[in-house]
Amino acid sequence: MDSVVLLQRQLVDYTAQLFNEGFLDDQFNQLQQLQDESNPDFVVEVVTLFFEDSERLLNELAKALEQQSIDYRKIDAHVHQLKGSSSSIGAQRVQKVCIAFRNYCEERNIEGCQKCLQQVKNEYSLVKTKLETLFKLEQQVLSAGGSIPWPM
Amino acid sequence: MESGAVHTQQQEEEKQKQQKEEEEEEKRKQQKEEEEEEEEEHFHVLAVDDSFIDRKLLERLLKESSYQVTLVDSGDKALEYLGLLDSIDNVNATSSSQSPQQECIYGEIRPGLGTDIFTGMKVNLIMTDYCMPGMSGYDLLKRVKGSYWKDVPVVIMSSENIPSRIRMCLEEGAEEFLLKPLQLSDVEKLQTHLLKSPEKYSSIRIDDSSFNTESSSNITVSSKSNIASKRKALSPEIEERRPKLKGLAVV
Repeated sequence: MDSVVLLQRQLVDYTAQLFNEGFLDDQFNQLQQLQDESNPDFVVEVVTLFFEDSERLLNELAKALEQQSIDYRKIDAHVHQLKGSSSSIGAQRVQKVCIAFRNYCEERNIEGCQKCLQQVKNEYSLVKTKLETLFKLEQQVLSAGGSIPWPM
Repeated sequence: MESGAVHTQQQEEEKQKQQKEEEEEEKRKQQKEEEEEEEEEHFHVLAVDDSFIDRKLLERLLKESSYQVTLVDSGDKALEYLGLLDSIDNVNATSSSQSPQQECIYGEIRPGLGTDIFTGMKVNLIMTDYCMPGMSGYDLLKRVKGSYWKDVPVVIMSSENIPSRIRMCLEEGAEEFLLKPLQLSDVEKLQTHLLKSPEKYSSIRIDDSSFNTESSSNITVSSKSNIASKRKALSPEIEERRPKLKGLAVV
């Protein structure tokens, strides 16, 4: 079979998997719809911003939870930001952990917060890897002369 | 004879070169005119959000819908842009109680540059995030509604669907309350707010070059829109994006 078609099939399958497993939600589709010839790298650009922003926030959160006296308002503010940005790119699982995280903040539950921090780090790491794989697959399709079959 | 022929050829080439230059100059002029016309016809949105990602998204969404966009990252920056950073009464030519369309001239007066310098600008819509460090979107809404920009529609955006918050904003004069993350359908729907009463939401714009001459002869009213053709009917799914107010207890 044509290698382009194979690669495209791979891309479609992989993307579908990410949606099925809840890593991505419809907001990611919205991002794809906003990409066109005049904005050919829009999705990668926004997702890259998300990666940078998230890493900064996760560092801040780790620091905040190590303090002698925990500033729950500060933690909540960071989590709120992370929730917002993950929601904006469709990183559903990250967003969901953030919701739980905020609840623990409200309860001033240090253990709950620490647990959530670990969870959100994991989910972030997972979605980052998966998105990077997704982008790589796209590159392969494009390099082989094919086009990205969006929206799917 | 030969030298005569060469001379003519040179002349010919020079003439052609000149012609080509004139054509290109003409094209450039035309392009600039078209661009200026486009600027005239497109609505200008002032968007306020402290999140870099959301600003990028908003910019793309708005430009996709053919709006001109100015992005700022805080309520203070928005007020600065609108010339409201000092007191509301920091307007020389207009009294603060008069709204733009009643007065022939209005614009932003930058303190320090002299009070007779106007920089005209139009803002057809303000979109602001609710939750921001420092000044909240609600505070910004109040400031705007208490200023000579009070007739400009203000839309609040929030990631949280809190009925009391929504009610508070709508009561304070917000045109619309949108849930984040915004979608293209949300932005397209905004056109109806802008087209509702064109005269009311139009803003008066002045060319910088004209401030020395009679004001009345140099006003361009930017109320027309070439977006009318893109107007879409509200589809049922859009209704779900709006937080429902029915069934709320009257507090």
